[in-house]
Amino acid sequence: MSRQPVGPAALGRGAATVEQHRKTRRRFRRRAVFGGLMLAVVAGMFGWRLASLQLLEPERFVAHGEAQRFKTLRLRAGRGAIVDRNGVDLVLSVPGQSMIANPRRVEDPVRAARALAQVLGADSEVLERRISSDKSFVYLGRQVDLEVAEAILALEISGVYAQEEWERIRPGGDSALSILGRTDIDSIGISGIELVYDGLLSGTDGERRVEMGMWGASIPGGEYSVEPARNGRTLVLALDRALQFEAERLLLERVEAVGAKGGVLVAMHPATGEILVSATVRRSADGVVRISSEHRAVTWTYEPGSIIKPLTVSAILDRAVAAPDTVREVPPRLKVHDATFSDSPFHETVELTLADIIRRSSNVGTILWAHDLGAEALHEQLREFGLGSVTDLDFPGEASGILHPAGRWSGTSLPTIAIGQGVSTTPLQMLVAYSALANGGVRPAPTLVLGTRDDDGVFEARRPGPSLSVLPAAVAAEVVGMMEQVVASGTGTRAQVSGYRVAGKTGTAWKVLPTGGYGSKGNRSYVASFAGFLPAEAPRLAVIVVVDEPSGEVYSGGRVAAPVFAEFARFAVRQLRIPSADERVEADREGRVMALTPARHAILREAAEASRLEQSGELVAASATGG
Amino acid sequence: MTAVLRHPRLGLGQRIDDGTGGRAIVRPAARSAVALAVFGFFATLLALAAFQGVVVSGQFEFDRLQRRLEDGRDRSQLLRAEVARLESPGRILEVAGGRLGLVSPPTRFDLPSVVPGDPLTILLPPVGDPFSRTY
Repeated sequence: MSRQPVGPAALGRGAATVEQHRKTRRRFRRRAVFGGLMLAVVAGMFGWRLASLQLLEPERFVAHGEAQRFKTLRLRAGRGAIVDRNGVDLVLSVPGQSMIANPRRVEDPVRAARALAQVLGADSEVLERRISSDKSFVYLGRQVDLEVAEAILALEISGVYAQEEWERIRPGGDSALSILGRTDIDSIGISGIELVYDGLLSGTDGERRVEMGMWGASIPGGEYSVEPARNGRTLVLALDRALQFEAERLLLERVEAVGAKGGVLVAMHPATGEILVSATVRRSADGVVRISSEHRAVTWTYEPGSIIKPLTVSAILDRAVAAPDTVREVPPRLKVHDATFSDSPFHETVELTLADIIRRSSNVGTILWAHDLGAEALHEQLREFGLGSVTDLDFPGEASGILHPAGRWSGTSLPTIAIGQGVSTTPLQMLVAYSALANGGVRPAPTLVLGTRDDDGVFEARRPGPSLSVLPAAVAAEVVGMMEQVVASGTGTRAQVSGYRVAGKTGTAWKVLPTGGYGSKGNRSYVASFAGFLPAEAPRLAVIVVVDEPSGEVYSGGRVAAPVFAEFARFAVRQLRIPSADERVEADREGRVMALTPARHAILREAAEASRLEQSGELVAASATGG
Repeated sequence: MTAVLRHPRLGLGQRIDDGTGGRAIVRPAARSAVALAVFGFFATLLALAAFQGVVVSGQFEFDRLQRRLEDGRDRSQLLRAEVARLESPGRILEVAGGRLGLVSPPTRFDLPSVVPGDPLTILLPPVGDPFSRTY
């Protein structure tokens, strides 16, 4: 058995230890409480922050997170193309590149501007000003060439990027520019067809929303939604590109050759009103004749001159004032009030039928019959042909021309208007009136647009405008017969087209001088024109050619405008597959195609005719009688 | 000397007395089930990882095709513009008169088309424009 220490010694040592332990425990407890409180405070702060993030303003952080994760890509809608009646592209949009910069990220603007200026061919100071600004987006160059864009990106300048854009181009250059019009750099129509049909041509942008990972790759299974872009509709015009080009070429040559200020050529299908060609050329300030951007076929008004006479005569025939073969004595000149009218070339007093008056383009004869017709009837008929009011073309800037009501006419208005002076029209108005004559007295509504086509190629035809009957078909046929004589043996012989019967009328109008009045002989300005159609028996092409202020000795419509008509018509009948009179003979015969020269064909035809006569005995009989 | 004490190997249905009065029973079927569950869990994980790999690769392919499609559309539009430019009458005339040195003939006539053996009968030209595009 062991002895245990007893007494105070043993007790004192134990008490000290206990006391020590108690102190330690107390200190530990204090520290623990303090530490716990601190942890609780920190936890509370975290808790508060968590609550504030999750409960008080969650939208902000959700949006921030989404902005990092989700990317919305704009899907660019292409602007619709404009094509001709054969589907050939006249205007279309192609992807292009624009160079942009975020100036805040450009490290050395001076050096960057110098490098960019060399590639872009721009002023380095301008570029430096742009990329030194405090903006976050500036354009360095809009719609630059692909090579230029690649060269700039190769410079690896921080803060300089390429942005894809649609670029509007016309593959045929300035051809038909006055009709097609232009867009601004953002592909918004500002003139011509581009302006009128901007709503149809413009598409609707779409967007693709993708959830993206760190390196810009989309997250599989993440959110993915697409609102597809809807491209603009393709506009199908009634124009024929080949005809348009040929018309412009011929006009450029002719206007240059006769020293004129400009010219207009419009061609139309007389039954449907489809405008196949509308060409305008103008001599610019530097003296060079160019294709004009102004659609002067509808914006330019002029006094039409003698090409109005068939319209006057149609009123005379319609009101039964005269017939085509009614004869009348026509003096060389006629005085009405204070004005004297004369014929050119001069003639003695002669007896002329109404048809002769048109064939010779007699001013005096037309005025005499117009007096019998009366102002009201003439005004009414010209109105019905569409003079003095805009057509149904719906083209910006179209002029209505001037045709005052008959009640406001002066004493000389009737004779002057009957021969195409004192009234102003656009070339298109005159062509529509001639189309009415060609179309059996039914005035067509002119149109430039056949319809539209969507992305899938589904064509939607445009509803044509209303056609109006303005003249009985029989009267129209009589007028056409007179107009045929104009081309066959009258003032318009230079408009003849081999193989086709052409009906038309020349016009050599006096032009009002800037100082007022028409001036005196040798000091006058003229507008030379020819309007006509072919084949006369079943017209499929109506054309008007107007040449503004030809200078020099050659200024008449028959010598300046009619040859352009003939040249154009010769090309157009082939392009439009309009068969000649010969080609319509026995059209239903089948067989392979062979080609003969006209001379060879004529020889064979004569030989066949001789053989037929010989066989029937007519040739022998004729020889026997000495015929 | 240290002795390592182990539980004796148990036969089927044997019990261990752990000295606390409770008795633990180890069933082989349960052990197999646990092992199977663990295996299944990891197998599923592996399959999911593989499937995710396939999905990621598919997504990359999809993105790549999407980019190709857009590039193709852009390229087609550029080529369409180039075709239109090359076949424009102005450019043809320029090449004919410039590079090829062609000139317009002083006079021009059109050859009539006739039936073989009957040159007096002239054929109608084709209806419509055989070279035109339809819309």
